[in-house]
Amino acid sequence: MFGSEPFPQLRILASLRLGLRLNTQKRTRASLAEAASAFEASPNPYLLLTPDLRIVEMNQAYIDVTGARRDEILGHSLFTAFDSGPGEDAPENVRQVKASLEKARDTRQRDHLAVVRYAMPRVREDGSEVFEERIWSATHTPLMNAEGEVVLLLQHTMDVTDLSPAVRADEPTTALDALIGGSVLRRAQSVQEDNRRLETERNRLVEMFMQAPGFVAILTGPDHRFQMHNQAYGQLIGHRDIAGKPLREALPELAGQGYYEFLDAVFETGEAYEGRESQALLQRTPGGPLETLYLNFIYQPIRDEGGAVVGVFVQGHDVTENVKAARLQKLMIDELNHRVKNTLATVQSIAIQTARSHSDPASFASTFQSRILALSHTHDLLTLSHWEGADLQAILMHETEAFGPSRISLNGPVTGLMPATALSLGMIFHELATNAAKYGALSGPDGRVLIDWNLKDQPERILKLTWREIGGPKVTLPDRRGFGSRLIERNIRHDLAGEIDLVYASDGLIAELTVPLDRTHAQ
Amino acid sequence: MTQPLNGRRVLVVEDESLVAMLLETILEDMECITIGPASNIDEGEAMARDTIDLDAALLDVNVAGRQVFPVAEALRARGVPFVFSTGYGEGGLPEEWRGSATVQKPFTEAAIRDALMKAMGVAQV
Repeated sequence: MFGSEPFPQLRILASLRLGLRLNTQKRTRASLAEAASAFEASPNPYLLLTPDLRIVEMNQAYIDVTGARRDEILGHSLFTAFDSGPGEDAPENVRQVKASLEKARDTRQRDHLAVVRYAMPRVREDGSEVFEERIWSATHTPLMNAEGEVVLLLQHTMDVTDLSPAVRADEPTTALDALIGGSVLRRAQSVQEDNRRLETERNRLVEMFMQAPGFVAILTGPDHRFQMHNQAYGQLIGHRDIAGKPLREALPELAGQGYYEFLDAVFETGEAYEGRESQALLQRTPGGPLETLYLNFIYQPIRDEGGAVVGVFVQGHDVTENVKAARLQKLMIDELNHRVKNTLATVQSIAIQTARSHSDPASFASTFQSRILALSHTHDLLTLSHWEGADLQAILMHETEAFGPSRISLNGPVTGLMPATALSLGMIFHELATNAAKYGALSGPDGRVLIDWNLKDQPERILKLTWREIGGPKVTLPDRRGFGSRLIERNIRHDLAGEIDLVYASDGLIAELTVPLDRTHAQ
Repeated sequence: MTQPLNGRRVLVVEDESLVAMLLETILEDMECITIGPASNIDEGEAMARDTIDLDAALLDVNVAGRQVFPVAEALRARGVPFVFSTGYGEGGLPEEWRGSATVQKPFTEAAIRDALMKAMGVAQV
């Protein structure tokens, strides 16, 4: 904007006043006079200072605005001429102006003081002097010679005490003003820079809102228009275009859920509202179904300078996962309780029914205990797999291993069992083994039990298992069905929806089991 | 001496055969006739609807992963009294069924008898 010779007119002016030797002037007397009178006549207050801040010259506007007398201040240090009075702010005011001037001198660049307080003396009608608090806006411009040395400092100052709120750029009135008027424009630009800085700060704040893990929205006006909302809020509502829309239009699905009313109340009463694990049904994908969310949030009133509520600040977190986890935990505790109580009821049933067929306490204790241990062992196997299931062979081995491998033959494919099936089959094999040890093939020294099974895969897995006893004492049909055989039959039919065929063949018991393995609970 | 519930026909819905067997034994001792036991909801619902003479029912709340309330609805519709048996106690029942007669697992014979008598409005002897 400016060439290597800034303000040639002023340099000429200065040379006239100070007799400075300038090496580039080729000016006519007419142009010099013109420049000098333009300086003098400008409505903008100008002050010229030496680099060590002594007053060289000022124009009429400056005298008018400061109330100073030219002959009293000419040649004096600026801060002797104007000391900002006796107020306690005076040293700070002086420091600010001095710092700005020194900065302009040392950096050879204009410096702006957008607003500075500086008290000025005023002579009252009775002749006494009083200091008046005044507010100024000033530009300090270094004036350099051809070598680039700063020879003068130009202060352009404006009394802005009565201006509000911002400094206005004045219309240039002369060619000189047009040149120096740049300083006014610069000052305006400086204010703009301040604004830019503020805007940067604001953007940074907005950015923080935008990136915040919680959801944030700013609603304005009684109809709660979305002025701003962050990423997390967008995610909450399926990134719908809600900017500038009133809440009831932006999120119509919230009707009847209480949120409109809470916000209305906050706006009307100015009292914050807090929601905890509050259920909200929201559309999270365009055209999608309403999804249930749980939110912790606070609605805070936003007030203007006069204290009136102008909007609502919404801030919160989606705690759906936490709420779901807490509910799952309760469900699991309920399920655990259910299982424990059911197991106790099972044990109770075993106890009562075992007692009915064992009048002798010692024989009751031993039979009852072995039944409980069989149940317990299947639990152990299931625990190993985190209750996902158990292997058929492992259950069979446990119930028969006491008799030694030479007396038991296990033959069949790997067969995974669901927990309920495993528990039932564990009890069934326990009863079969107990019966064999008491009355069947395992009661004598030579008998054996052959257990063979296979799986039918289509359309679903069906287990077919044969328990065949050989080499034992001659079998006779029991005259009374004991608890063991009742338990076996009931368990297969009732719990497993399977079939069992018990054949009391003369050379040994044959039990044929058919059990569907992929039965769902609902069946 | 005749038991107070002599000859009453009681539906049992219970998925665990051992528990069902225990209930049968208890009902037998009280000279009741066991209907069922049903091991799942569908079977229980059919029995609750179709059994001609039915004086009462014992209903396990959680039956093979499902809740027994459809069976309770069917019984309520025809005015047959019932008793829930549950590990949760009465607090484990949903709002609608609070206040229904309940026995908590594991149960005693006396608890079953008292609950059935109360549900059927049979006076204590």
